Amino acid sequence: MLFNSFYFLFFFIVVTVLYYTISYTKRWLLLLLSSCYFYMAFVPLYIFILGFTIVVDYVAGIYIEKAQGKRRKYFLVVSLIANIGILCIFKYYNFINDNFSFLLHGFGLSNPIPYLQILLPIGLSFHTFQAMSYTIEVYRGNQKAERHFGIYSLYVMFYPQLVAGPIERPQNLLKQFRQEHKFDSERVFEGLKIMVWGFFKKLVIADRLGIYVNGAYNNVEQQNGMTLLLATIFFSFQIYCDFSGYSDIAIGTARVMGFDLMTNFKRPIFAKSTGNFWKRWHISLSTWFKDYLYFPMGGSKVSVPRWYFNLMVVFLISGLWHGANWTYIIWGGINGFYLVFAIVTQKYRDKFNAFIHIDKFPRFFLFPQVLITFLLISFSRIFFRARTVEDALKIIKKILTFKGSVFNDGTGIILYSCFGIAFLVAVEFKREYYKGSFTLSNHPNFWVRNSYYSFLVILILLFGVFDGGQFIYFQF
Amino acid sequence: MIKKNSNNSFKTFVSKLLVFFIIFFFVDLLIGNLLKKFYFQQESGMNYLTTFSIEKTTTDVVIFGSSRATNIFNTKIFEVNLNMPTYNAGRDGEPIFYHYAILKAILNRYKPKIIVLSMDEADFSKNSDDYDRISVLLPYYKSHPEIRPIITLKRPFEKLKLLSNIYPYNSLMLSIIGGNNSFNKNQYANGFIPLRYTISGPLQTYDYSKEIELDSTKINIYKSFIQDCINANISLYIICSPYIINSIGKDLSIIKAIAIAKEYNIDFFDYSRDTFYTTKPELFADYRHLNEKGVEIFSNTVAEKIKYKTLGLKRVNR
Repeated sequence: MLFNSFYFLFFFIVVTVLYYTISYTKRWLLLLLSSCYFYMAFVPLYIFILGFTIVVDYVAGIYIEKAQGKRRKYFLVVSLIANIGILCIFKYYNFINDNFSFLLHGFGLSNPIPYLQILLPIGLSFHTFQAMSYTIEVYRGNQKAERHFGIYSLYVMFYPQLVAGPIERPQNLLKQFRQEHKFDSERVFEGLKIMVWGFFKKLVIADRLGIYVNGAYNNVEQQNGMTLLLATIFFSFQIYCDFSGYSDIAIGTARVMGFDLMTNFKRPIFAKSTGNFWKRWHISLSTWFKDYLYFPMGGSKVSVPRWYFNLMVVFLISGLWHGANWTYIIWGGINGFYLVFAIVTQKYRDKFNAFIHIDKFPRFFLFPQVLITFLLISFSRIFFRARTVEDALKIIKKILTFKGSVFNDGTGIILYSCFGIAFLVAVEFKREYYKGSFTLSNHPNFWVRNSYYSFLVILILLFGVFDGGQFIYFQF
Repeated sequence: MIKKNSNNSFKTFVSKLLVFFIIFFFVDLLIGNLLKKFYFQQESGMNYLTTFSIEKTTTDVVIFGSSRATNIFNTKIFEVNLNMPTYNAGRDGEPIFYHYAILKAILNRYKPKIIVLSMDEADFSKNSDDYDRISVLLPYYKSHPEIRPIITLKRPFEKLKLLSNIYPYNSLMLSIIGGNNSFNKNQYANGFIPLRYTISGPLQTYDYSKEIELDSTKINIYKSFIQDCINANISLYIICSPYIINSIGKDLSIIKAIAIAKEYNIDFFDYSRDTFYTTKPELFADYRHLNEKGVEIFSNTVAEKIKYKTLGLKRVNR
């Protein structure tokens, strides 16, 4: 069930009304059943895969807590193998097999191992990571093992964040299922407002940009450099609005029912460096990798070469997490390289910054910093969006010629897209740099506030793409 | 019911929500009506041509189809050959749903003598984009009940969305502004839009031998189009104009369309691989559209063929 569908709208209304109607002690059951229904609306059979990992992790959690010494680790390893094993089978098996075939082909041999004809279960990487964070936290002693099977299942399956995050931690979410969330109109409105902004980003900006981006990236041969350059810039905004739009709808939906999910985006378009970007983009995944991979590897508290190695490993795995394709791995590699390069050149950049007195004119240098970061991130996303590495290289080659005129099909798609981007940048600029000043979305006057949100809904009706597709991050 | 201790809070919520909807209702009504006014007073552009097709055509000959109708069937040539006023009611990129909706709207007002339906390859293939293209008919939902069943094919909740007065004009703001500027007024008064350039580069190869799934809804609409013409006693001619491509096999949609036409005893003129055209790239603007030069030959050929068929005479030319 897609968030941007009427089915979801009805589902959300029915579940929310029932949620506040029944006793709070029964709410976990309602949420669990509705989450099952929500997930089964995609491919019903895959609920069994989810069920399998839930049972394994639930049992593992209890045994990790009960066990002593090395046995604790043993149960953790069982849980991790089950989760990563599911990921490997459904997400990476064909990719690994494909590369194996390529390798054998180099020696003139053919690969006897068959390919699997399976669809990737929707949101697999998200709920697997969320489940893994539970057993790891129990192992570390930061979280008590959940004895209530229903509530543990709900932790993995909570429908607002089941298929595309935010990837929650047990310490934040599990306890909330036991709390009584009384109806609070302010809170409900707050949730609805976040949802409206999420829908705006998805329907008005992301899906509009998607039309242009898909047109250009799916027909690389037919496009010139300028069209591909524009499509690449558009894609940066598209993926941000698509994913953060989803997160906003998820966070808003949860908030309407009284739950607080973690913030997933902090206006990454205003990041001043690539390092700063990763503190603002997909925060729930970045912190997951930091807590469960980067720090256990030693983080930055190791020798300098090992530190670079740790960074590269984290980003390469992050790339692989996104998809079983070399394009994602290269994308991860580029972003890892950016960070390593930033550390290597830190000393020289500091000298240069002192020379140009950047500290005296911070606002003056802010724009080039933001622009360079945006361009670097956009460049890496060529690999993220391209269908193949060959396509990505062709796109880069074509862009670097700066030739041709931008393709415009005469339907006003570029103008509509630019309008959406301008609106987004204006709103986020205000939120980033003038947070405490004048606000329409939280204006103290009820009528002003209401008119602003009516205006947003009107803009969605006027400029939204209602026949757009699913969210980009669903495939991960 | 909502718990007692939260009653006040719930009442506040309902009253605030109600106010929101009241504000929204009036803003929607106001903007929707403004858009409606400007939409229907357009004097040029594609939307204007659709409004004209639905509400104003009175010609004896009406041509239906996608860009392969608007760019290929020259109305003036048809008028001269058939000695009947002709209008090209085609629209770029539109599938059979659009053509049938326009036919329903026209038959609601009058009965043309001859109808020409231009068919394209892959017209019956399953493609959700074709359903999305029905959106160009949304502004006519309220004023033209005869086309409502076609509009509701678009998406499951279309009726609900159409409760909004703004939604029918979704993404139309720029074209409404353009259509209200009279700089290109009457430019394509008869609906025919010629292409004045010539194809270049190597020919593309299309493999039609692969199994593709046909859309039964589209096939049924095509059948309804034919049946409605028969019921209204209109001479219907279905035509597939030339393509300049290297092809492997034949398109399944065209095979199916020819079979259905035969079933209903309707003439289907298939020029898709006519070697007279396919050996002359200079007659093409691109692989699926003849250019002005090609159109002149093709329109004359087709119009003459229709003339002799309609008058019951023997065919004298190609």
